[in-house]
Amino acid sequence: MAESDYQLLDRYATGDGAAFEELVTRHQKTIYDLAYRMMENHADAADLAQRTFVQAFLYHQSFKRESGFRTWLYQIGMNLCRNAIRDQARRVHEDVSELELADSQDILAEVAGTEMKDRLGRAIRTLPTRQKEALVLRVYHDHAFSEIGTIMSCSEGAAKANYHHAVDRLRRALVSGEG
Amino acid sequence: MTCHEIKELTVPYLELDLEPSRIRDVTVHLDGCAECRVEMEAVRQVLVRVKGVAVPDPGDRFWNEFPDKVRRGLARERPPISSGLRKGLTGWPMALAASVLLLVGAWSLRGLVTQGPAPAPSQPRAVAQVPQAAEPELPQLAEADWLEFLDEDPDMALVEMASGLDRQAVDRLFRDI
Repeated sequence: MAESDYQLLDRYATGDGAAFEELVTRHQKTIYDLAYRMMENHADAADLAQRTFVQAFLYHQSFKRESGFRTWLYQIGMNLCRNAIRDQARRVHEDVSELELADSQDILAEVAGTEMKDRLGRAIRTLPTRQKEALVLRVYHDHAFSEIGTIMSCSEGAAKANYHHAVDRLRRALVSGEG
Repeated sequence: MTCHEIKELTVPYLELDLEPSRIRDVTVHLDGCAECRVEMEAVRQVLVRVKGVAVPDPGDRFWNEFPDKVRRGLARERPPISSGLRKGLTGWPMALAASVLLLVGAWSLRGLVTQGPAPAPSQPRAVAQVPQAAEPELPQLAEADWLEFLDEDPDMALVEMASGLDRQAVDRLFRDI
């Protein structure tokens, strides 16, 4: 029977390198996936995924074990992504109006699969960070809203509200062409 | 239920995040309202499409090398051993280390302990004056005195010993070490 994350963490605390390896390989794809959906590029996703694990192992003694280890990783990862997005926003101002202009130029064209995908990508990209977080955690990682609240450090109700608003914005962006 | 209420419940309905009675209410409304059915389907399509957006796989090499990258990142972030050791030496470990050091130093300076005012019965007896001349031979503290000394109250004994040591003697001791 596979060891639990807690058992591996206890072994890691004693200096067991194999436990470290197992914990990383067990969760690396999930955390990378999360980072990629938030940052939308491989370089940032790889960097943030790595930093997530570094933080987790550096401060593993402060992990209270009130939630699962994976949930704790999500929390760390989401905080890092949030900070990175905030730093990027300070450096580069994304001109949303240009995107909307591009959409309106194609408004009469038949919406092909690729076009829909591009529009969807843009719509997700322009979601407010908190709504995007809730969407990613719910749709791609199947978290319950109570867990999403834990990861996002908000109430379950707030997590639901963020998710619903995100879906509503995407619906309006994709179906009616609104931003 | 009104269409406005149905709109509020669209996402929870699709997520099956409603109580069974509410799900029934929404279903009944949808059966009789084409507009709400269209809206519901539109939201369902959004979720299907969003879920269909895949993350490109960075490849086996990336996954194989990832744990080592984390390991290297950890090594960079961890504080250097000296400052870590400094942080670790607080409280009782520091007191223990200091006691051991004093013990070693005092043992090397056997006989150098000056005789102060008449000690209380529990206090150790000093044996010799601290030599003032250049490089005198270090006086010896009888082993029996040490044993009595340490048995009674080792920590206090070391403190008393340290307070009785002459500055010159201490400097000589650590110079020799």
